[in-house]
Amino acid sequence: MEMLLTAAVMSVLGVAVCAALFAAATRGEHVEASRRAEPPALAARRFFASAPDAAPASEPVAIGAQRELVPVEALMLQIEQHIRLEQAAAESFLHTPTEQSLHSRTTSPLVN
Amino acid sequence: MTTVRPDLLVGLAEEQASRVLELGSHTTLSAGDVLFNLGDAANSLFVVERGRVALTLPMKVRGKEQDVLIEERAAGQTVGWSALVPPHRFTLKAAALVDSEVVALPRTALSEHLSAFPAVGYLVARNVSAVVGQRLQVFQTMWLREMERVVELSQA
Repeated sequence: MEMLLTAAVMSVLGVAVCAALFAAATRGEHVEASRRAEPPALAARRFFASAPDAAPASEPVAIGAQRELVPVEALMLQIEQHIRLEQAAAESFLHTPTEQSLHSRTTSPLVN
Repeated sequence: MTTVRPDLLVGLAEEQASRVLELGSHTTLSAGDVLFNLGDAANSLFVVERGRVALTLPMKVRGKEQDVLIEERAAGQTVGWSALVPPHRFTLKAAALVDSEVVALPRTALSEHLSAFPAVGYLVARNVSAVVGQRLQVFQTMWLREMERVVELSQA
């Protein structure tokens, strides 16, 4: 009787260990599958963000696509701010022409 | 008329300045109104009486043309000196940034007046040269600064 019980317990333990190992292996495959699914998602975003000059999938293009998501209005404001700062710097140089003022750096976001 | 003596008329006697301004007509602009477009015939020279006028050039940003600010002119400043310089075509676009008022001086009437009164013509031409020269100096400085950055980026 004792031997029968020991065999039964051992069987249950064996099944439990197998089930745990199987679950762990399956979860790993699931993560791998979702990782493999990411590139199409990036490609879709690239398609909508910059369809005309879409390039083969690569990290730099993905970064470029993200940059293009900055609204044009915000970019235009940055350009206008840059021009105003550069004009002020140029006028300052013309008021007091020195090499230092000619090469001075502004706080423009486009050059920093 | 604005209390600021227009830069176009610096050095002129009060009466001389008044006679030049009498050649023009007052034009009211709402914010966003276009005074002239790039390439238009420069048939008038403008003196800003009130408000602010933006001078812009079209720049291609992400495949679309956007007006990029080149200069801003305020009360007392002159806009559109192409009217006095051949080939009399505007090389920028001008639009009111806020509600503004300008005096439009017709090119033909102004040229005839300046020819008839050479002393006035000399002073106005000198003042226009100052406006043109100042822009040239500012832009050659800006060009050099931008070129430095282009070289820096190309070497990076």
